[in-house]
Amino acid sequence: MPRNRTIGGPILCGLPSFTIAQRIGAQDKRTMDTHDQPETAPPATQPANGPANAGRRALMLGAAGASVVVSIRPALAQTTASISNCEIPVPDPGRAGQYIAADGKVVPPGTQGAFAPPGRAFKGEEVKRALAGNTLPGTSYEQSRAYTNYIRRLQQGTSGFTCFASLQMPRG
Amino acid sequence: MTRYRAAPPQTLLIRPLDALTAIHDRRSGQTHLVAQPVPELLAALEDGPLDIDVLLARLAEQFDLVDGDREALAERLAELAATGLVERL
Repeated sequence: MPRNRTIGGPILCGLPSFTIAQRIGAQDKRTMDTHDQPETAPPATQPANGPANAGRRALMLGAAGASVVVSIRPALAQTTASISNCEIPVPDPGRAGQYIAADGKVVPPGTQGAFAPPGRAFKGEEVKRALAGNTLPGTSYEQSRAYTNYIRRLQQGTSGFTCFASLQMPRG
Repeated sequence: MTRYRAAPPQTLLIRPLDALTAIHDRRSGQTHLVAQPVPELLAALEDGPLDIDVLLARLAEQFDLVDGDREALAERLAELAATGLVERL
């Protein structure tokens, strides 16, 4: 069972109903008016002031093998071969020659602590392995982290975004 | 020890939907429907990166952990790292 499910297309389907339904039944049933909610995660219950566990909301971390995330992304027609062959330039061609800071921001050449561009685009498979904790080929650990942070910041419309987004889809 | 950092809050659009929460990640264009304890984990990490033991202790302070153990938390964090909502440092 994959750790999380990713659904292509704008319409959600194929929810892992057992896992999600089970967790819904075990959770706090309070309702929220979503229109009034700020752009933050639901607030945690206030810590207990009295004896241990008094007044605190229950929280389930979940069983081994269960999934608590279903991911939906814009429909992208991708085959296994195209995922392997798609490329992500670092940085995008419009900013060629700029350096990459440790946090992934694009900065002027020579900025202290930033890294020169790698000189080549990375393949989708290479980036996928890097996102899983490996190092991009031909780079040091710090360079690889800076480049992957850049890739994580990619927005729609920037060269490489479609390739990056397609890496989130599970195979098969 | 490995630490975990939540995605910058300004990159996420979070909307509670009763028992689930929708989280749109502007960086990737993906929207994640998540169940407990994902929103709670992201909130616990919003002040800075934490290792798993400190994170577990913080959650235990705030909540009554029904099935809380280190292995379960590790699995949740791995799942979130795969989605990009959390980064492994």
